[in-house]
Amino acid sequence: MTLPLKKTALAAMLSVAMSVPAFADPIRTINLVTRPQAAQPAEFQFTQLIAQEWRKLGLDVNVEVMPWEQMIQAIWFSRDEWDTTAWQMVGRPERSDPDEIVYNLFHSTTAEKGFNFIGYNNPDYDALVEKQRVALDPDERREIVRAAQTLLAEDQPNMMLAHPKSTYAVNTSVWNADSVVDQSGIGIRNTWSYIQMEPVGDVKDIVLNSSDNVTAINPLYISGGTDSWITELVWDRLMRIGPDGLPQPWAAESYEWVDDTTITVTLRDDMMWHDGKPVTPEDVKFSFEAAGSGEAPMYSPFVNGIADIAIDGMNITFNLSQPSAPFLTASLSKINIIPKHIWESVIEEQKTLETNAESFQEEVPIGSGPYRFSSWTLNEEVVLAANGDHWAAPEAERWILRIVPNVEAALGMLRSGEINFLSDFPGDPTVVVSAAEEDPNLTAVSTVDIGFRYVAFNHRRPPFDDAAFRKALSASVDRRLIVGAAFRGFAVPSNSVVSPALGFWHNESTVEGMTAGVDLAKEMLAEAGYEVVDGQLNYPEGVSETLGE
Amino acid sequence: MKGITVIGARLLQTAFVLLAVITILFFMFRLMPGSPLAAYIDPNFTPEQQAELMARFGLDRPLWQQYFIYIGNLLQGDLGESFFYRQPVAERVFALLPNTLILTFTSLIVAYLFGVLAGAYLAWKRGAMVEQIGVPLVLTTRAMPEFWLGMLLLAVFSFGLGWFPAGGTRPPGAEYDSLWALYTSADFWRHMTLPVLTLAIYSQGLPLLLMRSNMLDVMREDFVTMARIKGLSTFSVVIRHAARNALLPVMTSFAIAVGYQIQGNVVVETVFSWPGLGRELVRAVSTADYPLAQGAFLMIAVVVILMNLVADLLYAALDPRVTHE
Amino acid sequence: MLRRWLGAIRLPLHDPLAIVGLGIYLVFVLMAIFAPVIATHDPNEILFTTEFALAADLPPNLDGYLLGTTTLGRDIFSQIVWGARSALLIGLTAAFMVALIGSIVGIVAGYFGGWVDMVLMRLADVAFGIPFLPFVIVLAAFLEPSIWNVVIAMALVLWRDTGRVIRSQTLTLRNRVYVEAARVSGSSDFKIILRHIAPNVLPLSFLYGSIAIGWAILTEASISFLGFGDPNSISWGYMLQDAFASQALSKGSYYWFVPPGFLIILIVSAGFFITRGYEQILFPKLDR
Repeated sequence: MTLPLKKTALAAMLSVAMSVPAFADPIRTINLVTRPQAAQPAEFQFTQLIAQEWRKLGLDVNVEVMPWEQMIQAIWFSRDEWDTTAWQMVGRPERSDPDEIVYNLFHSTTAEKGFNFIGYNNPDYDALVEKQRVALDPDERREIVRAAQTLLAEDQPNMMLAHPKSTYAVNTSVWNADSVVDQSGIGIRNTWSYIQMEPVGDVKDIVLNSSDNVTAINPLYISGGTDSWITELVWDRLMRIGPDGLPQPWAAESYEWVDDTTITVTLRDDMMWHDGKPVTPEDVKFSFEAAGSGEAPMYSPFVNGIADIAIDGMNITFNLSQPSAPFLTASLSKINIIPKHIWESVIEEQKTLETNAESFQEEVPIGSGPYRFSSWTLNEEVVLAANGDHWAAPEAERWILRIVPNVEAALGMLRSGEINFLSDFPGDPTVVVSAAEEDPNLTAVSTVDIGFRYVAFNHRRPPFDDAAFRKALSASVDRRLIVGAAFRGFAVPSNSVVSPALGFWHNESTVEGMTAGVDLAKEMLAEAGYEVVDGQLNYPEGVSETLGE
Repeated sequence: MKGITVIGARLLQTAFVLLAVITILFFMFRLMPGSPLAAYIDPNFTPEQQAELMARFGLDRPLWQQYFIYIGNLLQGDLGESFFYRQPVAERVFALLPNTLILTFTSLIVAYLFGVLAGAYLAWKRGAMVEQIGVPLVLTTRAMPEFWLGMLLLAVFSFGLGWFPAGGTRPPGAEYDSLWALYTSADFWRHMTLPVLTLAIYSQGLPLLLMRSNMLDVMREDFVTMARIKGLSTFSVVIRHAARNALLPVMTSFAIAVGYQIQGNVVVETVFSWPGLGRELVRAVSTADYPLAQGAFLMIAVVVILMNLVADLLYAALDPRVTHE
Repeated sequence: MLRRWLGAIRLPLHDPLAIVGLGIYLVFVLMAIFAPVIATHDPNEILFTTEFALAADLPPNLDGYLLGTTTLGRDIFSQIVWGARSALLIGLTAAFMVALIGSIVGIVAGYFGGWVDMVLMRLADVAFGIPFLPFVIVLAAFLEPSIWNVVIAMALVLWRDTGRVIRSQTLTLRNRVYVEAARVSGSSDFKIILRHIAPNVLPLSFLYGSIAIGWAILTEASISFLGFGDPNSISWGYMLQDAFASQALSKGSYYWFVPPGFLIILIVSAGFFITRGYEQILFPKLDR
């Protein structure tokens, strides 16, 4: 009978009509920003490699090269306008505590103006990192930090790449090799080395180099990496990050947590300023108040948890507004102790001016640290002299920093003896290692850094708001390729913002068993609904491109 | 009376050029991309603080107003404040200027001494093998990238032979009682040798060819033939006449060469880690520290314009044939 | 008319040095045109020896990388060959702009005189007051890093020498008898310039252009060395910057940093050789 046949035919036609896919838009050209090769050869190289792999997935990738200052404008101050970018976090001793990294980089409150410039917003993650901040029991805190890392590895808000190995060198015919300190996550270039290095022969001056100018020698201004080497030697702090990465008492003789939000620190009684006056608890209280006075904007975040400071004899009591697990590292190991008799009038004056304490440069900076200021020849060198009165007086006589912008010249100087400590080498580390192999007087030391390199995804712009898409892109590149071809082997693969250099906090399970490859990535994309049509990767069905030209 | 009008006119011209260059500089830098806020990248930088910053640097006012404020400050010797160093630009610029000037003048003096003598020699040996090879060779020295030459000299004479240090103006930690003590010390000259050599090799071509050309002209003149016929030493006649003739163009070109040389400094200062103005300009531009970049650029332009004026005045003073247009 | 112009470009074929110069240029032009054929690899391609091992810092070997590889794994020989294109592109464009602008300014100022002359010469004065290399650096930061920054900067500033000299020449020519005659007989200014002035001034333009090629290439090399170069175009200056930034000197990689420098010297010298026959061109300050 004809009716059932017609029905079948109609049904067949309808089913054919239904199986025609709804619209699916190709993904627009994705921008990947990087710094120039001259400034950042590793970064330049890995962006080329990553772009190459992503193109195999059917994505159209455009690599955009721009210098750092333009990058800041294009990325940091224009948070809606970029897709992906290479980025880095620099390793500093104070970042030995994971709080600054796990909180500031990903907490939703820092998304608009702060370090969470990628716009990551995950309430579960927010809860975790808020919890670790007030978890005073180290083991409990450790579990929370590990859980946070696992969550990030699942979500892939960024494509973590590697923790570079920094390579520095020292001349062992001048310095006793055993007296040089290799600080976890930092390398031999650290304050402990500068204090403990013993001269072997007649040369008793540490002569080291930096490729960047010294901007300022000011304890209230975080003016640059090189400058911080100087401030760490000229001024003391209550605590210091030790070679093991953990904070230890320094200017503080001892400390005690009275309760969750109160800590009492006992100041050493044998400290003197370089101008002869004694260091008093009033100076310490003043230092913390100066940091929070508004005239030192870069230091204020490190003291804003302090409600008030009380003095009793040599004891200084800090009252915090809430419990803070990273307090010892983030605050007590960070704030420089400055002389009230010099800075009090400076701060008062700055309050009346448009400028702030960052603009005040002492002729002869006065601190209480193991080295005292001796001279500063503009753009050429800074000389510090050992402070014999200090309880941790250096073994060396002077600390001399030479500004050498020409990287090859720095290596030449190490070989000729013009410098005896290679403390800055932004070039190819294999050259330093070969130089050390050829010359028995030179020893090169490579250390896995606390810092890391990554490619950031902008969560404000689709498809980067889709975790599956991010994970596929991240999985398309084998990290061994990055380590080998961009870092010449001088790095370790990374899948966590907490570096293996921070052994206590690092969660190895994030890196172990990482699988990668273009085929794997293609599978992941297909599963998530992204199809390749005519060689171009498309959004899943029903999703249109909202940001194309 | 005539002399004064000429000088007066030239001074007016120079003032005009100076103003024009300052203006071009100002607008060029103000329209540059990259924000001064880059120097203050900080998570705690509130919008109020940002506004305060813009106001402090005068960036919230209309461009024309900023321009006149800038000129006003300039006349008082205030070149503004560096974004990164948070210090007055004028102080930095004047502190670094002597290092650049010493390099420029020393290398030019060396280049000109050599060039004049060698040029005379080549002219005297016209037609000989040494001249046939010499002239193209000299042209080749003007075809070298200065940084390449510098790096090679560094590799050979510093890394290789160890005769000279690899950078800076003095040995590490060395102390001097005064600038004069520094400039007259043997160490300073040792440190200056390679950069001066690099710059001089490039600059000697011009005075050499100039001198040679002058000598050739003089040698062709009748009175030289006359002197030869009379049995007089042609050498002394030629030298005396050529010297007088060459004086004007050589001195004029020296003045102008200072202006050109000071730009070559930018590269050489980087290669030899010499703490000068050129290197500072490059760094200031790289970091978008535009008050500092503007100040450094201005200082260099002032030297160039001043030396052009000197050249003009020399020309007017030494050449009686010049009439003011 | 055309014959007049062609005759004016008196190629200095009498001077052996100038012939050498022209020969060198010819070789580079051929190298640039046939780059895709001569080069053994893509100059930008990242090369590997095994799966994760970068072909980095390899010395020259005859059956693979003729001049070895860079620290980032790229073939040096291919970069050298393709570099000829950048060099000629920048050089010729810049030279053309300098010669064109300088000639126009010089002719107009010299021919018309009066306030036109005054304005143009004041502009030249200002151009003389701008230090060139610093200006290019600032421009490179102002605009995006690109090889055209050098061309733009030269077009804005370096026409000054050419302008002054050609103005001098025009002044002399303007007073010649045949020009007077043409004017009296009612020829338009434009025609006079085209027929009598321009062809006679052309050799000077051509020769300044010849030197300007060298200036452009040297400037581009310096800019690249300082880090303001165009990362997307392989030029010899960029290669040198790459070599020094990778510590090629310390590694003794002569095959990397000598050839680009040598080729720059060659091509710039060629420009000077061509001008050899006209020595007065080299001392423009004397001609006022």
